[in-house]
Amino acid sequence: MIADKQNFSPFNEEPISLISQAGEWTAPFACDLKDEQLKTMYQQMLAARLMDERFIKLQRSGKMSFVAPHSGHEAAQIAAAHAVRVGTDWLFPYYRDYGMTYALGEPLIEIFAQVTGSRLDTAKARQMPMHPSSKELNIFTGASAIASHIPPAVGAAISMKIRETGQVVLTSFGDGATSEGDFHAAINYAGAQGAPVVFLCENNRLAISVDFNKQTGAENIAIKAKAYGMPGYLVDGMDVLACYYVLQECVENARAGLGPSLVEAQVQRFGAHSSADDDSIYRSKEELEQMRQRDPLLRMRRFLENQGLWSERDENLFKKEILGEFQAIIDTLAEAEKVPLEWMFDDVYAEMLPHIAEQKKDFLG
Amino acid sequence: MQTIVQTVARTLAEEMQRDERVVVMGEDVGKRGGVFLATEGLFDKFGPDRVMDTPLSEAAIIGAAVGMAVHGLRPVAEIQFADYVFPGFDQLVSQAAKLRYRSGGTFNAPMVVRMPAGGGVKGGHHHSQNPETHFVHTPGLKVVYPSTPSDTKGLLKTAIRDEDPVVFMEPKRLYRAIKEEVPDDPDFTVPLGKAKIRQTGDDLVLISYGGSMAETAKAAEELAKQQISAEVIDLRSLMPWDKETVLERVARLGRVVLVSESPYTLNFMSEVSACICEEILDSLLAPPLRVTGFDTPYPYAQDREYLPGPNRILRAVQKVLEY
Ligand SMILES: Cc1ncc(C[n+]2csc(CCOP(=O)(O)OP(=O)(O)O)c2C)c(N)n1
Repeated sequence: MIADKQNFSPFNEEPISLISQAGEWTAPFACDLKDEQLKTMYQQMLAARLMDERFIKLQRSGKMSFVAPHSGHEAAQIAAAHAVRVGTDWLFPYYRDYGMTYALGEPLIEIFAQVTGSRLDTAKARQMPMHPSSKELNIFTGASAIASHIPPAVGAAISMKIRETGQVVLTSFGDGATSEGDFHAAINYAGAQGAPVVFLCENNRLAISVDFNKQTGAENIAIKAKAYGMPGYLVDGMDVLACYYVLQECVENARAGLGPSLVEAQVQRFGAHSSADDDSIYRSKEELEQMRQRDPLLRMRRFLENQGLWSERDENLFKKEILGEFQAIIDTLAEAEKVPLEWMFDDVYAEMLPHIAEQKKDFLG
Repeated sequence: MQTIVQTVARTLAEEMQRDERVVVMGEDVGKRGGVFLATEGLFDKFGPDRVMDTPLSEAAIIGAAVGMAVHGLRPVAEIQFADYVFPGFDQLVSQAAKLRYRSGGTFNAPMVVRMPAGGGVKGGHHHSQNPETHFVHTPGLKVVYPSTPSDTKGLLKTAIRDEDPVVFMEPKRLYRAIKEEVPDDPDFTVPLGKAKIRQTGDDLVLISYGGSMAETAKAAEELAKQQISAEVIDLRSLMPWDKETVLERVARLGRVVLVSESPYTLNFMSEVSACICEEILDSLLAPPLRVTGFDTPYPYAQDREYLPGPNRILRAVQKVLEY
């Protein structure tokens, strides 16, 4: 399956996995990541998990209107952030990707401001929670309409190719999204163009309540790549290093002019689809218990502990630090002024059209 | 006593019981019972062949519904939010709407496309829109938008029994806001194209439909406190719409305020207003005024303010009365 480092074979039947549940390195090549980066990956996974828990609390206390938890997706998301060149490459993520954008360096204050609809949100509180956006980090502003961001991702990649900028696009989405026409239209175009784009499907085998086998008759998503003329890789999405090495290879191949690829990270959705969902209607507690045994955080933590890079003490210290950071941010946001009413009328066009100006004037009296 | 969303589920169950050609399809409509529970209980009762969880593709949902309808089923497709009709819009506009016409009347698609619509739920621009103008502007589609549980039952039944494609919009912020006694009769229907006079009055007419009926009713209550008697009309159906009732009632009082939460430009009420001006100008004592959403995408932070609320309606009423 893996010839040597940086040389994974596509259309593999068993998902690529590099560390065992017990945290042992099982690959036929050496892990060449520096200790610091390995630790950072885990810290970001842990921070993402804690962020999720904090979001849920904020939602329950009425400070957020909505949450789509990413717990169980951390390995794939944090790996993606490490596989790209931050600030150079472009990301087209979806609503469950705050783990990814955090690991890309989106400041916590920006994330919390977005999800709480604060005046401090860089997108002027225009979107529901769970819609990342960062002009500085080349993170394309989120859209709730499933798969609608994938054609623009491909367009950006084609532009990078035409303009020879050496940049790469990474776009992510769920398994449900692969049923939309937009997904097929986009990946087909990318294949035809040899565009520098990596498609990352975070496959948790659920679209809200709908099971994967109702989404497609195919055995997995990765094999669909074949028909679009690109390699497809099946990866254990609970293994951050497997996700990292595969994505990194795909990103660098795209940069080298070898065209697009599709990576399917097999992840799990530990939470309900969202705060508006009740997953007890369609799945059992036992199912969930079983999933949690494969927690991506546990695996990476064991790996680090085996290398002597992490301890219970480190864990507690880091948790305390990050929770403190969250609290400070929440306190700052509590002091922010309300979102101005008149912001409703801005940014429809570069310059406000006269009829909107009239409506604004009339409304504000 | 039942809510609008309960009424949808019960009406679907009755129609499926009555006619085995009726099938329900959409995202999460099966075991989950729909994200709003509008199809609750149907999966257990009728099984996976008649209550189908589809892939996440509105083009597949609407397009397949056309094929099923052509072949003899009576599909009721759910679009999870009206905002997500757009990936399936081509099927609705290019296939469903034009099928009868382009086949010289030899093919038709008796199908219903249900969709929760409207704002006021902190959903931002992708969970709050009212795209009815797109549908009304597409000849071949019928469009319905009830505001009460009883009308939901009567109109949904009529829509399912209709021989043409019907877009059935549901006011999601009222899904659980109102409860009322709904007629038991399994053949209780409400005809398409008939407005309902919710309250008679002597000073002016307020016309609305769908979710905005709630704010319109509130405004009428406020007016009553000020001894102003408003007549309140619920259009219920937008294509066809009840021009006759509207013209007759507006001509009687000469003053009208039109309320609808979709954007101002080409709001459905622009059509109503144009017809009033063209046909009964001589009876008017003031120009008809529209109170609508703004010509912006639906905002998130200003979720409530975007809606034509009672205050904005009252301001328009004052202008119309003082004209
Ligand atoms: C075009 C469109 N249709 C429907 C929805 C409603 N919806 C929101 S999330 C979701 C399921 C998405 O599942 P998947 O793509 O597998 O991603 P996951 O949520 O599992 O991460 C649906 C149907 C939507 N947002 N956009």
